[in-house]
Formats: sequence, structure tokens, C-alpha cells
Amino acid sequence: MDSLQALDKEAEKIVAKYDQKNAAVLPLLHLAQDKIGYITSEAEAWVSKWSEVPVVHVREVVTFYSMYHQKPVGKHHIRFCTTTSCVLTGGEKVLDHLKKKLGVANGQTTADGKISLEEAECLCACENAPMMQVDDKYYGPLDEKKVDEIVDKLK
Amino acid sequence: MEPLLSRNFNIPDAWKIGVAENRGAYQTARKVITSMKPDEVTAAVVASNLRGLGGAGFPTGKKWQFLPKDRTKPVYLVINADEGEPGTFKDRYILERDPHQLIEGIMISAFAIGSHKAYIYIRGEYVEPYQRLQAAVDEATAKNYLGKNIFGSDFQLDLVVHRGAGAYICGEETALLESLEGKRGLPRLKPPFPAIVGLFGCPTIINNVETLACVPFILKNGAEWFAKLGSVGNGGTHLFSISGHVKKPGVYELPMGTSLREMIYTHAGGIRDGRALKAVIPGGISAKILTANEIDVKMDYDSLKAVDTMLGSAGVIVMDQTTSMVKALLVACKFFAHESCGQCSPCREGTGWAYKIIQRIYNGEGDLKDLDSLLTIARNMEGRTICVFADAAAWPIQSYITKFRSEFEEYIQNYSSLRAWPPGVAKQSE
Repeated sequence: MDSLQALDKEAEKIVAKYDQKNAAVLPLLHLAQDKIGYITSEAEAWVSKWSEVPVVHVREVVTFYSMYHQKPVGKHHIRFCTTTSCVLTGGEKVLDHLKKKLGVANGQTTADGKISLEEAECLCACENAPMMQVDDKYYGPLDEKKVDEIVDKLK
Repeated sequence: MEPLLSRNFNIPDAWKIGVAENRGAYQTARKVITSMKPDEVTAAVVASNLRGLGGAGFPTGKKWQFLPKDRTKPVYLVINADEGEPGTFKDRYILERDPHQLIEGIMISAFAIGSHKAYIYIRGEYVEPYQRLQAAVDEATAKNYLGKNIFGSDFQLDLVVHRGAGAYICGEETALLESLEGKRGLPRLKPPFPAIVGLFGCPTIINNVETLACVPFILKNGAEWFAKLGSVGNGGTHLFSISGHVKKPGVYELPMGTSLREMIYTHAGGIRDGRALKAVIPGGISAKILTANEIDVKMDYDSLKAVDTMLGSAGVIVMDQTTSMVKALLVACKFFAHESCGQCSPCREGTGWAYKIIQRIYNGEGDLKDLDSLLTIARNMEGRTICVFADAAAWPIQSYITKFRSEFEEYIQNYSSLRAWPPGVAKQSE
């Protein structure tokens, strides 16, 4: 909770933007996750306090949306698209390569805690299929060589 | 054709207000807000035949007219930037490359419907587009194009950019409202429609990004001019997202009613590697598939409806002769099973069972009877749920199996010889 209290000022600003406090649940969760990496029960309580939404409803929201992590993820989080255009253009082969390279399956994090991998549904960048998102950034079109270059540069 | 919506896509730094204003941004908003009456703006949008470009194709002006005349509560304008339909990526271009075009459209539209607070709901994964958009909103606010006394008038408008968190269903407008209110994105029962009871229980208009980006052009050049750009009853141009097995995937701005053949072979450069066309999804993954013999169709709402599919979000996914329709259906069913919100039983159960059955077929353990089971499941999802997600999940099942039945049957019977697509892909183990 201590590290979240450092965000109180920002939380206040977020809540003030909305006509009802409950509307701030999603942005407050984003804020907390950006700070501490995933949504802890302390984070749920902190969001509940600021949004005046019962903590059980905050929890519902956390479990509904795919972007909120309920356990720690890697320092870098990869979402690899597995929907139609990316499959048509050979994405599965590239994904298999990435899994072997990292030594992880879907939903896992590398042993050193550096990179986690998530198979995602369409990220809407099909013109660059096959594609993936690393943290905030989209990359594509990908092949095995490009994936290697991108991943090797991650610090 | 002169590009409209895409005119700034390749202009360096067009997302910055200085460059955008040099290219005419905010001039139409200034003219409208300082010299027109709100009803005149709505009348122009009605006459332009502008239709919702997010997928449903509902006439935009008509939607605005659903607002109650004797309202006492505030009106909200909500902009749907929750682009998520597989095969669609056009709104991202506007958000990233020309956000001021969108903001100007929002100003004019809010003025028309009498709204003083607007929310843009942008999908959570679009982090870079969000940053561009938020920067543009901050620039417009600093210039007092947003805020109080806009252009010296008594019109005021606050604009908040709100990030989603990864849920396809939030593109459905009432799920979007629930999500914006800080809840799970479960679509609402209608009626009441959002124009009567929307965000925070108040009258609300929800429009797509591209739809509102069209509005300044209508007010600048006239409704009749805009209507003439398209085909009958389908005004203007449209940003078509073309992907899959084409030589030049990308966003193409073309008049409503351009033929699908022309799109694939002229604009997108034809099929990759000299292969033959097998099938096309014309409007995002939810739209019923067309075979190679069905591409001489006009790409507009009415023409595609007439051939029992839809323009949807205008996400064109092209499949060449090497494509396995079994695999394509597996991928579609996985998507819908993953994204069903779980609220209605036919959808929650139906999408899950459809995915299990098609997985069984794909893994070589299918039975010919499974095809009819899939069609029965699809029939029992269609029209039996709160929102159209279940219908959207049913349409790929129905159309892939009906139009490519012999391929499915052959796959089930001769599994071992056909399973090598694409080369090297392992058996699904989920």
C-alpha cells in the first residue's frame, strides 16, 4: 500500500476527470499496475478507496479484462497475436520459434524474470502481420530473425 | 479520388497541432460553432448519408435525432475507439496520424447534439495511439478549442481520453458504457437505447472514430457533395483495412461501393506469390466469408447485405489457395470462445463447444456428424442473446462449413494427408 500512496495525487487527478468516481476504476488499475507490475489485493483496496466501488467489484473488473495481471509478469511483457491475419501469414511458426528461444509456454515468464509471453487475440495491426506487442510498442511484420533481433535488444 | 480521411496519413508530424492547422484543421469547427445552429448541423449530417463506420452502419444523423427533445439531464458524446474486430486497423491510423481531425469532428458533433462532455474510449493495447491522442487533446485544450467559451462562443466542451483494458466485447456500445462506468463489459439489454439511457443514466450518443472524422468534411464541402462520393444511401468514402495473402496489405481510402475485386487486385496488388484466390472475409472476422467467385460485389452496407454478408468494420481478410478452411474456422472459433463475455448461456456455452468440436476435427479426431453439430450450435446461438456477439460467432461457422463443406468432409476423412498446413505447424494441444 505504501508504494501506492505515492500515487494518491495522481489518483485524485484521475477521479476528478470523471462525472462519477466509479468511472475511474479502469484508469486507477492501469496506474497501479504501471507502478507495481500487477494487481495485488492491496491495489484492489486502493482502487476501491479512490473510486468508492466495493472491492469485490474491483476484483470482478480485474478478472474480466485481459490486460490486468493477477500475478507478476516479466520485466518485459510480450503479446503475440494468434488471430486470423497473423496465422495466415505464418505467425504460428514465428511464435513457436519465440517460445523455444525464451523457453516458455503461453502465460509463462523466463527463469530470470525478464520476459513473459502471452498469446493474444487480434491487436489490430493486421497490415503488419504477423505481429506482436512488446510492452507498449507494436512490431511487425515478423519472421524468426526479426523476433531474435527485437528480443535480444531487451534489457 | 482526392483522399479525405487519409489526406494527412503520410504528412510528417500531422499529429501535431501546428502542422494540422496549416493543413486546415479546426477551420470548419470555428465556422460551425460561431455561425450555425445545432439543428442545421444535424440536418447536414442526415442529408450526407453518413453511416456509422464502426461496423453497424446505422445512419449517424438519425442516431443523433433519437435524443429526447425534452431532456433535462446532460447529454454525453462517447467516441468508440475500441478497435478490435480482427482484420481491422483503420481507426488506429486516424488516432496515430491525424488525431486533430477526430477532435474537430468531436467538437462539431458535440455542438450539434448539445453535449458538453465527451469521452473517447480507446482500446488498452493502443498505448502509442493513446499517447498521440492525449497529446493532441492537450494541445487543443491549450489553444482553447476545448474548454469554456470555445472560439469566443458560449459553447463549452471537455474531452476525456479513457483507456480500455483488453476486452473485444467493449466495442459493443452498451458494453463500452458499462466499461466506462468502471464495470465488467457486459452488454445491456435494449431498449432503452443509449440515446435515452446511456452513460451514467443520461442520454448518450456513441459514434466510431472514423464516423466522427468524416463530420468536418460534410460541414466544409456540403452534405450533397459527401453523399455523392459514395453509392446510393451509403455516403462518403471509407477506410478499408486489407490484410492476409495480398501483396500490399494496408489501409485504403476508397468510395463506398468500390468492388471487392478492384480492392484486392488493383489496390492491394493482388495475391502473394502468384497464387489463386480462395476466399475473402469482407468485413472483419464476424462477416460471412465469400468464395473467389463472389468478389464482384460492391463494398457498401446494402450491397453486401444483399449477398448475405456484411460490410461490418470493412476489414478485408484475403485467403489464397493454400488456406485450410478447417484451420481458418479453428482460429475464428478460438477468438469467439476467448472473447465471449459469458453473460448469456447460448453464447458462453456455444462458443466454447464450437471451439472444442472444431479443435477435435482439426486434430484428426472429428466425425462427419460434427459438422452438423456445429451448424446446430450456430443456429442456437443466433438471435438468442442480449447482443450480436453470438450472431457474429455463428456466422463464420455457418458460412465456412456451408461454402466449403466438401473440404471439411475431405479433411475429416483423409486427415493424415491434409494436416500439413501450414507446413510445420504442430497439433493444437490446448
